[in-house]
Amino acid sequence: MTAPDPANAAPEAAVDTAPENPTETRVRAALDGLEVSFGAAQDAIVCVEFERELLHTVMERLRDSAGFETLTFVTCVDHLASTATEPRFEVVHQLISLAHGDRVRTRVRLTSDDATLASITDLWPGAGFMEREAYDMFGVRFEGHPNLKRLLMPEGYGHHPLRKDFPQQGIEPDRLYREWDRERRKDWNPKES
Amino acid sequence: MGSLTEARTSSDEGFLATRLDALINWGRKNSLWPMPLGLSCCGIELMAMIGPRFDISRFGAEAARFSPRQCDLMIVAGTLTWKMAKAARTIYDQMPEPKWVLAMGVCSSSGGMYDSYSVVQGIDSILPVDIYVPGCPPRPDAVIDAILKLQKKIERESPIKNLLAGTEVVEHEGTGVIRRQPNHAVERTELDRHPHSPAARETAVHFGAASPESLRGDDQ
Repeated sequence: MTAPDPANAAPEAAVDTAPENPTETRVRAALDGLEVSFGAAQDAIVCVEFERELLHTVMERLRDSAGFETLTFVTCVDHLASTATEPRFEVVHQLISLAHGDRVRTRVRLTSDDATLASITDLWPGAGFMEREAYDMFGVRFEGHPNLKRLLMPEGYGHHPLRKDFPQQGIEPDRLYREWDRERRKDWNPKES
Repeated sequence: MGSLTEARTSSDEGFLATRLDALINWGRKNSLWPMPLGLSCCGIELMAMIGPRFDISRFGAEAARFSPRQCDLMIVAGTLTWKMAKAARTIYDQMPEPKWVLAMGVCSSSGGMYDSYSVVQGIDSILPVDIYVPGCPPRPDAVIDAILKLQKKIERESPIKNLLAGTEVVEHEGTGVIRRQPNHAVERTELDRHPHSPAARETAVHFGAASPESLRGDDQ
């Protein structure tokens, strides 16, 4: 760690008084020099927050320097209901180190008008499906993903169901079926067309 | 065919036609080959029903075929999503005549507890359902009871009489009505109270309705 300048003295001191956490020490050493902050999590997992441009660098360092070799999940949270302010989306990555037996979580906030984030499929190919699910359900676009298609909803549906402003009964859930059904009736009942 | 027509016209009831109908119906109802479309947990009960403990072979329906070309009875066992609906409809279209549809469980009957953006609220909007079995999932004996009731329904059909009269009685399409489950947070509509009433069908969203551009979303 670099020496704290006087402007940052107070928050640094607050963190330093906390009990020593070996995971946090390792993560701090790996992310040295990057603008990251350490947030609190209810389940006491070390939680790193930063701007979205840093995501790929942070993940690469956590994998290669801090020893978090396994990606647990990539998911997204829509904070529309709780805050009603931008940035609205929070993309969460969680890593696990099997060698050290600990976990780390990263959070990136995104605004709804530009919900794009770097893909980490080049670091962990297994992130592909999870990023596709986050894209399908929340509309977060992962740049660099080799195949960013919808995972659960049918292709062409156009809406993102886990957004908080999406109605429970859906926006025209039957539209794609109806369009297909019109063509089917032409094929099977030529009289109707 | 000519002699059949004469037989039909020679008496009021059409003795030969009704006897032939009875023979054909007897054959059809006792050799229902199910198409097991097991979509969720109902599929497990369906397997139990086919297995030796409940044993639908006692009623001539044990020959479950996984090709729709060899099936008479489509058992939709489970939650049908809109994404799966195209496949279900295609399977139904591929089945040869005559064919019947059994909606097994509340999910396929009405959407069940999935008052959701992804689930078809009753498969009768896309398929002509002959018999509904409530339950979540229904016990195998409930489905066997439904098959026995379906056999009674088949007994009442008149394939030869309809053939001679040239009447088209086979229903191929569903209602085409997009149902919604009643949402008690908002005012209930006529459609919610009586979903099968003619008035409700008129006011309901129909397959033929055009889709506004504003609702198409951001794909493409």
